[in-house]
Amino acid sequence: MSKHRVSRRQFLSYTLTGVGGFMAAGMLMPMVRFAVDPVLKADKGGNFIPTKQKVADLTSDPVRVDFTFKQKDAWYESDVTNTAWVYKNDKGEIVALSPTCKHLGCTVGWNTDKRYPNQFFCPCHYGRYEKDGTNIPGTPPQAPLDVYPFKEKDGYLYLSQAKPRTGA
Amino acid sequence: MKWTPQDIEMYAKSKEYVDTVVISLFPVSFGQEMKQSASMSEFLTLLTNQLERLFTGRILTLPPFTYLKNGNNEQWLPLLKQWEKKLQEEEVKHIVYLTSDSDWKMNEAELEGTLIWMPSLPLETMDDSQKFTLVQSQVKQLQQLVTQKWQENE
Ligand code: FES
Repeated sequence: MSKHRVSRRQFLSYTLTGVGGFMAAGMLMPMVRFAVDPVLKADKGGNFIPTKQKVADLTSDPVRVDFTFKQKDAWYESDVTNTAWVYKNDKGEIVALSPTCKHLGCTVGWNTDKRYPNQFFCPCHYGRYEKDGTNIPGTPPQAPLDVYPFKEKDGYLYLSQAKPRTGA
Repeated sequence: MKWTPQDIEMYAKSKEYVDTVVISLFPVSFGQEMKQSASMSEFLTLLTNQLERLFTGRILTLPPFTYLKNGNNEQWLPLLKQWEKKLQEEEVKHIVYLTSDSDWKMNEAELEGTLIWMPSLPLETMDDSQKFTLVQSQVKQLQQLVTQKWQENE
């Protein structure tokens, strides 16, 4: 699974180091990270998660779609809820955008600032994006909103992990 | 941004964009009120996390200010004042306190930061989707309060 895994014996010796080990903490920490990392990264990327959104109900107006899935870290599994802005573009194709601002990660809203209708707006430092997710020059974000891969199954929308937009 | 090493790294790099600090005030009680105080902290933790997600790039959530509940919050005031002083030195512009402990209302005038009181809701009696809807609606109100505050000061 991972190239950098510490050997089992090494790992055991770290775990057993105990209190005395605090002294060597500076040296120890980076190694422990290696040992823990593969677990942290074991999120189920690429899986499609069902949403409650019917594909037939989508219009050209972006709607907010929440979907929940399990995420595992080293200690426990927790429910994570993600959000997408979903609509059909002029060609009738589905577009599912991540609401996470590309500046510093606040959640953007659709049409929430009256001065700038039909744009995605970030309340934090007033970043703005066109409807298709393109960042508007002169506002803080330097990249377009991420895009969720999606698929349709039994009439419902399924979403996967958001990815930076390529090309465009 | 959260109080985690990853987020703090980000904070260090983009400090000029983060002008707001959120602190939740957690009363701890024993005996009869023990359960309620646990309920409060569960609720506030959820709220704070959600708020942080909405405003990741502009707020920093500090670890909760936790204190023993004994009828009078006067005695904790000097401690909070120290936090405030430090935060002001760090050039934090807005401090937001979130609490379900209504006693703080009496000390509101003495605090620099904005005190937001949220009624505590018994989440443990609800199923997940009820919980979600409810927290979502509370977060929405909170979100408005915070954006309002930002706008006032511009
Ligand atoms: S986080 Fe969106 S503009 Fe800064």
